[in-house]
Amino acid sequence: MIKCKDLTEEASNYLDGELLLHKRIGLFFHLLICRSCSNYLQQIRNTIKTIKVLRPREKETYDTCPLVKKLRELSRKPD
Amino acid sequence: MKINSNDSDEKALITDLINGDEKAFELIVSNYHNLMLSVARAIVGEAFADEVVQDAWISAIKALPKFEGRSSLKTWLLHIVSNGAKSRVRRENRMISLDDCWQSVSSEKFDNTGHRIDEILPWEEATPEALLANEQLQAAIEKTFQSLPPLQRAALTMYDMEGLKMEEVCNILDISASNARVLLHRARTGLHQCIEKFQDK
Repeated sequence: MIKCKDLTEEASNYLDGELLLHKRIGLFFHLLICRSCSNYLQQIRNTIKTIKVLRPREKETYDTCPLVKKLRELSRKPD
Repeated sequence: MKINSNDSDEKALITDLINGDEKAFELIVSNYHNLMLSVARAIVGEAFADEVVQDAWISAIKALPKFEGRSSLKTWLLHIVSNGAKSRVRRENRMISLDDCWQSVSSEKFDNTGHRIDEILPWEEATPEALLANEQLQAAIEKTFQSLPPLQRAALTMYDMEGLKMEEVCNILDISASNARVLLHRARTGLHQCIEKFQDK
């Protein structure tokens, strides 16, 4: 018997199509009867979409201009 | 400007790089440096990541005339930085932990049969555009992302943002598919919790 907790743990795998068929079917039927889980899954889907649009970045600790210059110089030098 | 990963555009970019075109170098570094940093931090940690990425860039530019285009330029660069980071890990004898800072959905949200206690309502602002119109939320998501453990950030960046296949993510980070899926889910859950807090306000 699928519970809300199972859906919470498997939400990513469900959305990415990474579950075995019997588990997928179990979650699918749970989603039909549980509005909270259906809303939760939609929220995770929206989180992923938002991340794709925002594209947060790693904090960079230095300016990359000197690196660009160094690499360019390197490309001009024969080995 | 974003690099278009189709073959002819990449070939043109590589030719420009080999010819020492300044704009081409600016373009490749602005597109891929941050991503390479993410992979290096995930494998070797913050302290050595910058050095590993710089070395990877130097190796890549030197090897560029021999690049055969069997993978995309992005994937090729990620493998170079990944290999550099892995050998650095071996040298430093570092261990990677998958479990740091993981906050699962609180068990208080479920009753003893595993069902939710409170009803979850749909978000009022649900589309990315509506969510990101809130500058405070945008800043909070960025902050949450940066505070995620590096492996989670790298898995999320490569899979959700860069569209790499899971198999490729696993190869680059040298982890199993089940571990990669756990990391991805944890990262998404962390960011979901951040957005959820704003919806509750």
